[in-house]
Amino acid sequence: MNATAVVFNAEFKRRITSRPYLFATLIGALSVILIALLPKLFGAALGSEANRVVLVGDPRVTSIAAKLLAKDFTIGATRTSLSAAPNSAYLEANGKSAAVAVIARAGDRLSVLVYARDPSGFGGAFARDLAPLQIAFSTGMSVADIQRQATVSVQVRGIGGRFSDASAANTAKGLGYLFVILLYIAILLNAQAIMASVAEEKTSRIAELLVAMVDPTRLLAAKILASASTGVIQLAVWIAVGGAAGGAIVGIFGDSPSGGVPLDLAPIALPPDEILSLIGFFLVGFLQYSVLYAAAASLINRTEDLGAVAGPLVIPVVLGFVLAQIGLQAPNSPAVAIFSQVPLLAPFVMFTRIAVTNVPAWQIALSLAVNLAAAVAFAWLAGKVYRVGLLLYGRPPSFAQVVRILRT
Amino acid sequence: MGTLILSGVARSFGSVVAVRDISFTVRPGDAFGLLGPNGAGKTTTMRMILGILVPDRGTITWNDTPVDLGVRRRFGYMPEERGLYGKLKVRDQIAYFGRLHGIAPPGDERRAATWIERLGLGEYAGRPCAELSKGNQQKVQIACAALHDPELLVLDEPFSGLDPVNAETLLGVLRGLQQAGTTLILSSHQMWQVEDLCESFGVIAGGTVRVEGTLRELRASWPTRIVEVEPASDSLRAVLDATPGATPLPHVDRPLLAYQVPADADTAALLRRLVAAGDVTRFERVEPSLRDIYLRAIEAAA
Repeated sequence: MNATAVVFNAEFKRRITSRPYLFATLIGALSVILIALLPKLFGAALGSEANRVVLVGDPRVTSIAAKLLAKDFTIGATRTSLSAAPNSAYLEANGKSAAVAVIARAGDRLSVLVYARDPSGFGGAFARDLAPLQIAFSTGMSVADIQRQATVSVQVRGIGGRFSDASAANTAKGLGYLFVILLYIAILLNAQAIMASVAEEKTSRIAELLVAMVDPTRLLAAKILASASTGVIQLAVWIAVGGAAGGAIVGIFGDSPSGGVPLDLAPIALPPDEILSLIGFFLVGFLQYSVLYAAAASLINRTEDLGAVAGPLVIPVVLGFVLAQIGLQAPNSPAVAIFSQVPLLAPFVMFTRIAVTNVPAWQIALSLAVNLAAAVAFAWLAGKVYRVGLLLYGRPPSFAQVVRILRT
Repeated sequence: MGTLILSGVARSFGSVVAVRDISFTVRPGDAFGLLGPNGAGKTTTMRMILGILVPDRGTITWNDTPVDLGVRRRFGYMPEERGLYGKLKVRDQIAYFGRLHGIAPPGDERRAATWIERLGLGEYAGRPCAELSKGNQQKVQIACAALHDPELLVLDEPFSGLDPVNAETLLGVLRGLQQAGTTLILSSHQMWQVEDLCESFGVIAGGTVRVEGTLRELRASWPTRIVEVEPASDSLRAVLDATPGATPLPHVDRPLLAYQVPADADTAALLRRLVAAGDVTRFERVEPSLRDIYLRAIEAAA
């Protein structure tokens, strides 16, 4: 039996049966279910409490205002007057409301005074919702007429054929965001698992035995493949659980998990070549980070030092994650296009660009080629560091020593 | 069985020369003792034999072919710093190393079971290695190194940290492997164990081999012998004092006469002269021990 296969099998079995892995997979699956269920189970309750208001004023005014405000707020109670400025106890006593709005009419002017726990979220909505009432007072028109006349039919259509409408574009952004989070979690969890595995073998001196039987580069490759496999399985479990949870919610509640517009993925369905590109960028990103983490782990002599060598490697992961958020908003900006070619960052940035815009094929091909070449170069350099680092005991090597290792 | 030949092997780490120029030969089926003080280059030499380190220059061959990965998988290695997966069960650990050495399932588990029984590890077979005592961990380590009936077994300080009973068990295992055809190379500071097990020796100091050969060859090249005579009478002392090249040893803790004489001295003639001079209750020609040879080689290198 090939020694690389033996190491792969052992690593795979060890990782997939390890408690931290099982725990992370379970927690991840539960989180996915929770994320899917939360808006349905608690969204209405949480939302109504946060948006519940008490209206105070002349009933002839507050009755119309209540109808206009209903699309943004839940009206907890209606009062004619206040004996004193409302406090928290007053809000609690009136259906745990979030605010009290005193609505007054003076001639043709309408004024609203809002007392709120969180003053940041009410002003704009009140002004927008009550605008028809103000116009009615000024002009003498009925509110219903004003609402009818003020209704504008707006349709947004996509250019370039990616998305047919705004809803599809928003769904794509959401999925792009989800993909990047999954990539981020997968890289951090699994690259650090490789690190821990390398560090264990180094500090327990098993590495010395292993490199006597297995070429260090193959040893490294087997460990990364095993970790990548378990990472993909973990992702697949999360996605499957998410899909099943979503399906169950639709089955039980009869609409989408969020309780809003039914989730229709058909308009954003990616062509097969782009799906392959997404998988390619995921694997390339995973490989780039895995080899770097493994090489870094081979340099430490105590597991306590893992954090010190892992720290610098977290920076490009976080940077890539942040740039991916920018990429979601401005996927075709020159800066984002450039970052989508840069190794370590591209797996995140190109990932989102493919999800939300039509990236020219040559850019995808170039980025894949650049990043694949970078992954191979990282693997080659990491292999050199790993080969030497595994047998370096005593004081951790200085940066100059690492450079010397790379030059030999 | 094969012949291991190291020829002009050298290895440095930056400016530090670990092995300057090492050459020796280990014959098929031999047990070869690699001796030397701490830092002499023994471990580096062993690591180069196993391909863990690449020599800066020189060659290492097994049966006249360079030692590559395929050859190395037929070797076994037990490093000085023991390495085991703490969470892995004893049975699984041994079988894993068997597979790494090319033993396909289910042979790996069958051999693991055999070695577990042979080393008396039966009650620990299902326990994680981290829960075992140091001595038992060492037994697991030897099983991992020898499970595949290696052609060459390299052991770096195999007896360190072992109590006398476990050391004797290990000696028995190593003798059994040697009888089955495995060539052994081991380093140890426990001279009596090395002398007991090995047929040939190499003493390394300062990164080079100072002396090499079988104990008989090393003794033959030793320039002096010691003769011990009892009782310590004046008449016998006078005979010894008059013997050409004989010098009394200054520190003798028993009432006897101890003299160093040239290795080629005619001790039979000396005995006849002593008997003629008076009563001789004991006469012994003492051969140099491995320890003597070792210390002399190290002193010469200093």
